[in-house]
Formats: sequence, structure tokens, C-alpha cells
Amino acid sequence: MDSTYDSIPIDDVSLQLDAEISTLQSQISALKTQRSIQTSAILTSRSTRATLARLRSSQKPKYQPTSTLPNDTDPLLTTTKTHLQHKQENLYRACGTVTTFRIRDPDPYAVDGGNVLGIRIDVSSNGKFIRPYYVMLNKPFAGSELLRVHRHTVPPCIPLAALAENYLPTGKGATGISSGNGSGKKAPGAKTQDIRKFVRALRKEVVGYHNRISVIKGLRREFRLDEKENNKGKGREKVISDISAADAEARQVRIEWVDGRIGRFTVDEGGSVVKAVVMGEQGRDGEVERVLVGGMGGVGERLRQVIY
Amino acid sequence: MSAISVPTTSALRSSELIPSSHPAVVKILNRLSRPSLLSLALDWLDERNQDNTAPYLAEEGNEDEDEQDLYPPALSLAELREIYTDIQARKGSKRDVLDRILEGDWRDGITLYQLAMADMQYLYDHPSSQKWTALKIVRLASEGEQPSKSKSIPRFHPATFLRNLQKEGLPDVKAHYNLDRHPTLPLLLLRIFIVESPYNTSLALSSKQATTFDASKTFYVAFPDDSPFIYVSLNTATGQPVSRSDNKSLRRLTLEGIPKAFSRPRERYKLESTSLSSRNLDALVELRGGGRTNAAGGGWSVYAEEKKNGGDNPLEIQPPTPESDIDELQEDMPKGLKRRRKDDDRVVKRRKMVAKGRFGNTALPDDGKGIERLDIRVDDLFPSRNAEAVEDDYPLADELDLGVTKKKQSGRRSTITFELDKHDDDEDSGEEWRPDIRLTFIGHHVFSGIRQLVEAGVVDGEKMPGWMTGEEGVSVGVVRDGRIRGSKGSGM
Repeated sequence: MDSTYDSIPIDDVSLQLDAEISTLQSQISALKTQRSIQTSAILTSRSTRATLARLRSSQKPKYQPTSTLPNDTDPLLTTTKTHLQHKQENLYRACGTVTTFRIRDPDPYAVDGGNVLGIRIDVSSNGKFIRPYYVMLNKPFAGSELLRVHRHTVPPCIPLAALAENYLPTGKGATGISSGNGSGKKAPGAKTQDIRKFVRALRKEVVGYHNRISVIKGLRREFRLDEKENNKGKGREKVISDISAADAEARQVRIEWVDGRIGRFTVDEGGSVVKAVVMGEQGRDGEVERVLVGGMGGVGERLRQVIY
Repeated sequence: MSAISVPTTSALRSSELIPSSHPAVVKILNRLSRPSLLSLALDWLDERNQDNTAPYLAEEGNEDEDEQDLYPPALSLAELREIYTDIQARKGSKRDVLDRILEGDWRDGITLYQLAMADMQYLYDHPSSQKWTALKIVRLASEGEQPSKSKSIPRFHPATFLRNLQKEGLPDVKAHYNLDRHPTLPLLLLRIFIVESPYNTSLALSSKQATTFDASKTFYVAFPDDSPFIYVSLNTATGQPVSRSDNKSLRRLTLEGIPKAFSRPRERYKLESTSLSSRNLDALVELRGGGRTNAAGGGWSVYAEEKKNGGDNPLEIQPPTPESDIDELQEDMPKGLKRRRKDDDRVVKRRKMVAKGRFGNTALPDDGKGIERLDIRVDDLFPSRNAEAVEDDYPLADELDLGVTKKKQSGRRSTITFELDKHDDDEDSGEEWRPDIRLTFIGHHVFSGIRQLVEAGVVDGEKMPGWMTGEEGVSVGVVRDGRIRGSKGSGM
């Protein structure tokens, strides 16, 4: 009983202890991640692999060739192998950006025995890889190689359905993946599925979308739209009051000036501004409009030149 | 009040007053709880809202106060704000607050805008008070033209949209539109309040006839951000049997107006069903929103969800560590009943793993994304002795003409029955007997319930068909051969 009463007055001590424990725990987890990184680095280094292979070969003669006794270095070698595989996969993902993998559909009633082809599209934005986009394809048509999009994680602002219709037609007369043997026997009007073109087009859309988004973000940063107005007097005064995407695909961008002018420009697939309209109280502002048209990446710089 | 009231097609103004004693006003405000009512009153007293929600204040110089006045008018907004903040801190009944609002500070009347705010507040307080149906906005193909998938999402510009929607309204019906941003979800909510009167002045609102305007003529449309879908609320208000058919036609007219309001020259839209309706807006945003989760439900959600500390990144050095292998556990499965008790926790763990594999991180009991009703029609062949000989050559759903629906003359039918029967086609009615089996799952989170059944071992998680995991993202569907028909990877 006494101990429970004692614990009430020393509440701040227990709080202090709690804080200490939590810092220690975070330290532990940090150290753990560091250890795992080091392990992986050591295991995948060439010299380690060479050493392990040498050890293995030196140990081998001691045992009978049929012996099933595990070797000392075996677990190490297998981990090395998985780490190496993972490293290679990462390399493909980072540089090739489109990778494929196989999935088993957990649904026991899935078509084609549950075989699913997964396509992973890695996109980087602002120097970071964001969560990859996945498209899962299956073959729902018995006796045919036709692919169809089964599941995907592509947001609706990327026209996946239109691309699939274009490059992976499943309607009547559609034929399987073009095997590259020429189009000699292709019937007129028949559509061919082409997964390479599909993926290429999809990746282009995804990357274009993220580039547009990041340009808009950059513009907002450039004109200090997200900052709190606490450092008054410093720097230049605010000229533009808002820059934001006007539609889901970020194809149209809206600019609002402090003096009431409103502008809008459209961006084409290649990332260049094709049309721009700026309306002020005295009608259209031709000078700014002309300046806006051009590459989307340089909009901020060109705007700056007009303003300042 | 203006001298002459002329019928027009324009909308009702937000500042139009309704008498405080009107039964509809009392009804709408009475639904709110005391804290909501008070925060609403404080919102009305905000400087920015004064155009539409100004309270009754004592005029300066006018000192002859009515001694009988239970709620003497305040002198300034600040004073009133103080009064309401005081009431907020005190305890008391809702009745007092309501009386103060209706007979005291807003004795002149409640504006349509205030009414809309009250309704919205009720909607936020009771998120499941409306049943929402998700509809897809699709390009309308002209005759002879192949319907093609549109490349872009129809752009939603609130002001233009409302102006176009007004044009679609009937001239003898006036509506008040109020747009509001949902506090937590990426949604824009449109409240349409319909008044059956050709006038857009206070004349329309002074009538005390119940049919002219009542709370049941309120419709909600939700516009999720960056998404080709909209959610419309079905009217759930019961009662008033007289005006029900009226309401239905009003609702239909409003619905028909929406795609037209979206349309532009050379770009026409129509609405298409997506077989999903729910009371839960969170679930709808998850399955028909602007994010990645539209076509990756159930177990596939692991590919869509954002992981902590940037997992699934090509720069991640650590190879992913599978939490536990199901196959590994399978080998150790107890064979006989004798050992079952001993390995019970292992069995439970295995079931949990299976459930995780099938459901991913969806359908958790507390994720707040549950649909409350799932209607399924099982359209499988009746198992006969030579079941193996059944050929698997049914036409795929996208080759079927879903537009052809069989018209049955069987009186009133629910929308769900209609939706389920829509997939009926005559061609295979003769071949074998397909019993008409309909399953309805009802609960506040249907898929979470199924997941719990899997974890409890009631449902075999491995033999369970995919539609039971909710990965198709529909609430109404026809199942054939274990798969929802016509579902081409939802979201497509």
C-alpha cells in the first residue's frame, strides 16, 4: 500500500524516467537500423564474398561430399545471395524505373490459376523516390494471350483506362503481344496488344504528372506562397498571391497576382506551356502572356524577369 | 420584400429570410445537439458571415425596450458573442439555446444560408445520416461513334457548375445551393434545397404550406477532389407520403442536370453507375476517390498504401523481411484433433496471417471505412454429377451488352434488385439451371466482419472467394464462377 502512495508525489521523477526510456528506445532502433545497413554493406561487398567463397572451398574437403551437415559459411552465403539479389533489383528499379514481378492472386477463383504480372513504376520527385505505382495484369481469356489490367494503384488523374484501351485492346479481333516478327500477316483493323508501348506511355504520363506537380511546387516556393509572412521588410514584396493547379492532371495552372490579375496557362505532354491567358482590369496582359509560353521549367525565371 | 415578384430561373439568394416559427426551421435546428447549435450560433456571429447571418441587434438611440422581452436584443456583435461563449461554458438544455436563437437573436427569421449551415453541421455530426451512391462521370459518345475512354477528368469549377445546374432546373421550382468544404475529407459538398415556388424572393418562403418546402427536399452532391466520380445522396427522409413521388422526380431532375452542368461544347458527359453505395463517405473516398486505392482493394491494398519510413523504395538497402511465411506454418499444421489444443495459438496465428494475406491492411474494425451493406447474387451453375464437364465459355462481361436490361413487370422493385437483375442475359437461360441465390451482408462494417470470421476460423480464409474481401470495391454485384461479373479490376 505504501508504495502506491509513494508513487504519487514523485510523479516528475517517473516522467523523467519515461522520457529517458523513450530516448533510449529510439537510440536502440537507430542503432539497429545502422547495424542492418552495415551488415548489408559488409555482406554485399566484393571482398567479403571472396573471403566466404575461399572459406567454403577450404572447408569442403574435410567433409564427405554426400554429407548433409550444414557448412559454417552456408547461412552467410545465402544471406549474401539475397542481399545481392535485392541490391541488383534496386539497381534496376532506380535506373530502369520500370520493373516487373510475379504475383499470385490470393483469390482461389482467380483467372489463369492466379498468375498475375506486376509492373512497378518507380518515380522520383524532388530528389526522392516516391511510392511506386503498380499495375497488375492478368490473362482472363481462356486460350488467349490477351492481357488485361486487373488491379492498379494509379490515381484517376493518370488516364490509365485510355492507355489500356489504346495499347492493350481486349475487344474483338485483338491479338496477343506483338512478338516482333513483323506485321506481315496482320489483318486490317486488327488491334495488337503491345505491353511495351503501354508501359512506356504510362510511365510518360506518370513522370509528366509528377514533373508538373513539382514545377508548381517550385513556383510556389520561388514566390514564397507557402511561407508565413513573418519576415516583413526582408526580400522583395509579394507580387503573386497564388499559383495552383487548376485541374486534377495539373495540365492547367492558375496564377493570381496581388493586383488582381488572373492568369492561366496550359501545359502539353512534353512539359511546355502552349497557351497562356492573363486578364487584368484593363483587359489582357499580352506581355506576361508571351513570357509564360515556353518550357514549363523556366516559367518562374521568366516571370521573375517581367516582375522585377 | 420587393414590390413585384417575377418568376425567373435564378437561384434563391442566401440572405433570403424564412420566418423563425416555420416548422421546417424548427425541425432542422432541433436536430442539432446543444454544442453544435452553440458553435453554429458563434459562426453566425462571425464578422465575415454578417451579410447572410446578421442577428437582431438593438438599434442605437432606440431605448424603449420592451419589458416583456425575454431576450433583450444585444447592442453589438461582440456582446452577443460573449453571451454565446458564456452559454457554451454553462450547462443547460438545448431547448433554451434554441429558444434564444429563434425568439431572441434571430427573431426576424433564419436565412437560407443559416439553414444550409445547420444542415451541414448535422451532416458532419451524423456522418452516416445520408446514403451516398457513387456515380462515374463518363464521356457521352454521339451516335455511331465508338465510346472511347476520356483522357481527362472533367474539370469542376464550382461557379460555372452551379450556373449551369441552375439552367437545368425547372422554372417553377427554385433551389438554394450551398457549397461547403468537408472538414476532414477531400470533398466539396453541395447542398441543394428545393423550394416549390416560381419566385425567387421572400414570397416563395413566406408560405407555410408543408408541400412548398420541407426538409425532405434537400439533396446532397459530393465532389471528391481529382476524381471522375461524384456521390449523390439518396433521400432517406421518410414520411410525407404525399410528396414522395414529387421528391423522386425532383431528385431525378437534379441528377439529370448534373452531367449537363459538367458538359461543355464538344465535351458531353453522362453519369454511370459504379455499383457502390454506402453511408460512409470515408469508404467512398477510399474506393472512388482521387487517390491510389480505387482499384487496389482487399489484399491488393498493400501496394497502394503509404508505408512508414519510406519502405518499398529502390534506395532501401535492407531486403524486405517477410513477417512470417504462411507455407512454413502450413507444414506444422496439426493433423489430428488431439494435438489441436496444444497448437491452438499457432492455428490462430496462421488464421491471422491468412486474413492479412487476403485483406491486407483493409477491413480493420476501427478503420472507419466500412460499407454497411453488400448485396450479392450468386449466379453459378447448380452442381450436378457431371459438373466437371461444364465448359468455361461464358462470354466475358465486357463483350456483353450491359445496356440491354430485361424488363419485368412485377410492381415496385428496389434499386438493388434492379441493379442485380441488370446483368441478366437471355442467352444462357436455357442451358443449365442456375438457381437464383441472393446474399445480403448487413452490418456497420461488412468486410471487417468477414475478416473477423476468417480470423476466428469460421470462414476458410484460403477458399474464400475474392469478392468477400471487398477487393472489387462494389456493394452490389453478380458473382459467377466465384468472381464478380463485369468487374474489370475496379476503377477501370
